[in-house]
Amino acid sequence: MAKTVKKGSTAVLVGTKKGAFLFHSPDRGRWSRIGPYFEGTPVYHVMLDPRDGRTAYAGATSEHWGPTVHRARIGGDFARAKEAPKFPEGANLAVTRIWHIEPGHPDEDGTLYVGVEPAGLFRSDDRGDHWRSFDALNLHPSRGGWRPGNGGLCLHSVLVDPRDARHLLVGISAVGAWETRDAGATWTPENRGVRADFLPEKYPETGQCVHKLAWDAAADGSVFQQNHCGMYYRGAGGGRWTEVSAGLPSTFGFPIAAHPHRRKTAYIVPLVGDFNRVPPKGQLAVWRTGNAGRTWRRLTRGLPGPGAYMGVLREGLAVDRGDPVGVYAGTNTGELYGSRDEGESWRTIAAHLPPILSVSAGEVR
Amino acid sequence: MRSGVLVRVPHALREYTNGQDEVLLEALDVASLLRSLDATFPGIRDRVVDETGQPRRYVNVFVNEDLVRGDFEAARLHPGDVVHILPSVAGG
Repeated sequence: MAKTVKKGSTAVLVGTKKGAFLFHSPDRGRWSRIGPYFEGTPVYHVMLDPRDGRTAYAGATSEHWGPTVHRARIGGDFARAKEAPKFPEGANLAVTRIWHIEPGHPDEDGTLYVGVEPAGLFRSDDRGDHWRSFDALNLHPSRGGWRPGNGGLCLHSVLVDPRDARHLLVGISAVGAWETRDAGATWTPENRGVRADFLPEKYPETGQCVHKLAWDAAADGSVFQQNHCGMYYRGAGGGRWTEVSAGLPSTFGFPIAAHPHRRKTAYIVPLVGDFNRVPPKGQLAVWRTGNAGRTWRRLTRGLPGPGAYMGVLREGLAVDRGDPVGVYAGTNTGELYGSRDEGESWRTIAAHLPPILSVSAGEVR
Repeated sequence: MRSGVLVRVPHALREYTNGQDEVLLEALDVASLLRSLDATFPGIRDRVVDETGQPRRYVNVFVNEDLVRGDFEAARLHPGDVVHILPSVAGG
């Protein structure tokens, strides 16, 4: 299946319930497809490493044979990494799904992180061939009280501070956000100000159902959070989260993609609610803020509706690094939409794919 | 009769065995058989059992025509046995 993808192209990598696909374009208008890769196998995340613009990584989760990590030169065939992440012996935990693959700090070539189910974080320093468990988090004394969300007890968000490789922020459903500033030796829950409507105590230390985290482009530690119970923003100093749901049609949604260059700017896809995970009024809409959630703007031109009743899952929204930035949304009904004007207008890139689990984008170098 | 135990490798795992569909090994039980198999073809055992040693939910191991349930250590093997590793009826 190996094919050449030209340097300078934009690549959109799509993980689905039945394999992965690569879309590439020289102008973000005309798209070519390669795939499916991993036919029949759920791929919860596949991404292009922005550090070299050439290496793609995928987490495949065979329902029969378990989870595996793979890498490929973009456009080429994927090769299985030597090992998959594993919990330490005696932990009585077994990895069942790979939810997210995150490239390490730009100065740490070959470093990767994965978030898995049941909730766990692992690091590789050799491009995915070997992994070590962050035991201080994975075997945290509070783990006995961790409870899964509807999607399982999964660690799905991994943020590496571009200023400091030792500073990580992760999201676990439904446990909350956790932070380390010493490369994983110690972790603290960081959920102050985040509501948990489904618990008797509305503002517990942990137990929040974080759906996705994304750094603000300001690169000063500011971060967006889409939660089961609202949109939140935490400023550069850390500390409490501020709810920024006002002006949105609901407090519920899954994905969030922060603008790569413009600070305080992010995209989300609100859904009616946890009881009805479809777009409000049957109109698929991406919402954008340019002021850290103080106001939101609804973007629908070219997106389906009325009569559109699909969802976009937590990894289903992505941005590239172009100027103007490209935004991509994949639905759980198998449509991939793209915008090359910062979300102002959208076109269908692909339809009739299997349910889309993840979308990521990058420039091929 | 063969002196060893014949392992029939399912199609999905032949990427580990360089395409071999059968492997002949010496082992006294299924657990040690999987360890021997992994020593020859690194990584293959992880596809059959998870890191706690439990059989994966949708993988079945048969000794001859008998499904091994539960403990692989207790599943004794004898020269001439055939071990089948098969995906169960699952998916969607």
